[in-house]
Amino acid sequence: MARRFSVQRQTGFATIAIICFFALYLPIVVLVFYAFNSADSLSSFQGLSLRWFARAFENRQVIDASIRSLQIAGVAATAATIAATMAAIATTRTEPYRGLTLKYAFINQPLMVPEIVTAVALLIFFARIKIWTGYNGLGYLIAAHTAFCVPFAYLPIRARLENMDSTLEKAAADLYATPWNAFRYVTLPLLWPGILAGFMLAFVISLDDVVITEFVKSAGQDTLPTYMLGQIRRTITPEMNAISALFLLLSICVVIVFFVVNRKRV
Amino acid sequence: MAESNAVEIRDVVKVFGFGEFAFSAVDHASIAIRKNEFFTLLGPSGCGKTTLLRLIAGFEFPTSGEIILNGEDIGTMPPFKRPINTVFQSYALFPHMTVAENIGFGLTMLGRPKQEVRDRVAAMLKLVRMENLAGRRTSQISGGQQQRVALARALAPQPKVLLLDEPLSALDYKLRKDMQIELKRLQGETGITFIFVTHDQEEALTMSDRIAVMSAGKILQVDSPRAIYDAPADRFVADFIGETNFLSGRIGSVTDGIAHVDTAMAGRISATLPRDFVAEGDVTVVLRPEHAALCDADDPAACQTTGTLENIVYFGTDTHYHVRLGDGETQFMLREQNKPLQRQRFSVGDRVGILFEPNAARVLRN
Repeated sequence: MARRFSVQRQTGFATIAIICFFALYLPIVVLVFYAFNSADSLSSFQGLSLRWFARAFENRQVIDASIRSLQIAGVAATAATIAATMAAIATTRTEPYRGLTLKYAFINQPLMVPEIVTAVALLIFFARIKIWTGYNGLGYLIAAHTAFCVPFAYLPIRARLENMDSTLEKAAADLYATPWNAFRYVTLPLLWPGILAGFMLAFVISLDDVVITEFVKSAGQDTLPTYMLGQIRRTITPEMNAISALFLLLSICVVIVFFVVNRKRV
Repeated sequence: MAESNAVEIRDVVKVFGFGEFAFSAVDHASIAIRKNEFFTLLGPSGCGKTTLLRLIAGFEFPTSGEIILNGEDIGTMPPFKRPINTVFQSYALFPHMTVAENIGFGLTMLGRPKQEVRDRVAAMLKLVRMENLAGRRTSQISGGQQQRVALARALAPQPKVLLLDEPLSALDYKLRKDMQIELKRLQGETGITFIFVTHDQEEALTMSDRIAVMSAGKILQVDSPRAIYDAPADRFVADFIGETNFLSGRIGSVTDGIAHVDTAMAGRISATLPRDFVAEGDVTVVLRPEHAALCDADDPAACQTTGTLENIVYFGTDTHYHVRLGDGETQFMLREQNKPLQRQRFSVGDRVGILFEPNAARVLRN
């Protein structure tokens, strides 16, 4: 009897899958494991301990960098999500017209341009503005993060809008909802999971960024990733593992929250 | 005059596309739809009936012409300002709201007090017999129930006109029959003008006070179901509504409104000439299958024409006879109602005569 082709039944499928999973997760497992190392270095494992977590929590620089990271990610992801939502509505709730594809390309441009190019460009651009205005605050980092987060927020929101029946918005208009009310009471509640997904993605991308942050930041504006990069250049202690493990925990939490919130909705 | 009309469509044109790709979905359409009327737009898919409905709803704006409601041209008014509601083909119920919230949506958007909205929703639920499902999500109810919610939602704000865009097409046969009766009842009870779009001629005939038959963006005939069926204005209407025999020929003579038409397939036949019909040239005689009967071919005085009986199809309530006419090409169909303990008078292969009254057959322009 002829069976339908299934990639799962091909020889070697399981082996390749296992290798891939090991390559992906083994280093992370090892990293987390060594975070509990009681020794002073990563070269030997001498027993379980939470001392490096305690050390990380006592480290003023780590705490400052973490707070800075969350601030930047929070503001940038919010701004990017609002911009992305507006862009997604503008590009899906319209009849196709000449130039629409060009707009898609423009919105998604940060995905295509090498990050280092954007970083150098922003460094030069912001340097000028810093001289003119004398302002040296977090605004530059937030602006830069917002810019490269927009496409990440845009993609899930647009996908959600494209799958949404646009007759619902017509029905709302038919039932005396002004364009704003139709958006407020019909589009937005139905779009919410997409907006949330976009926000989470933007948040994580911002939290994780090294290249652009490294170029744009002023002195004393280290985010957690750039701080860790700076530390690793000197000595590597299990403190880095502990911080990474906490970072990992945070991103797992974000993903879980996302799934839980999404599951409750229709 | 205008007082008795709910909506008046005046010479409306809707063109889609530009330049060489432009086509008129609605082509100089004019209709006056009366108050408290069950009005149907009937036509094959792509005839422009849904576009016309969308123009009335406000989802499209006319290229030219006027749409008059309460003596005012609403052609360019956005949908949320028009006192017109729509039942969509896909129902378009809001999936994040309960049945009651869906029904109350229009009134809430109009800014009516909460208590009034609640009372009205309760009354609507009662009207469509869904009182016990008020708190359900729209995804938790059946297709027929969704249909009722869509109706209740559109009726709740008491619109001047209710538009229905093929709302029964997604239901199965039995449910569709029930909903047809339900719709008629709702229209009678609410006194709201219904404009119903369908491609199903049977649905149109059974439900409507008046029907507009459309084809290629044009309105061909506006009349009562009986008039449309018995006196179609042209060949398209005759062909689209019900089954029809077409016999083409030339008018030989006219006496007292009855034309004697010489045809190649059936010889000289007599048919009614519609008033103000210029009796000359090539014409088509149309005749419904049930308006003709079989007769004895040997009695030429009683029969209009003769042919060979090719096929007998028994349908329970009636029997269909297919007769090959004299030219050997044209097939003529007759339908006779079955009576109890009836004996089969003819059998396949017999030479038979066809009998019909001249006032059952009509002459149409080609």
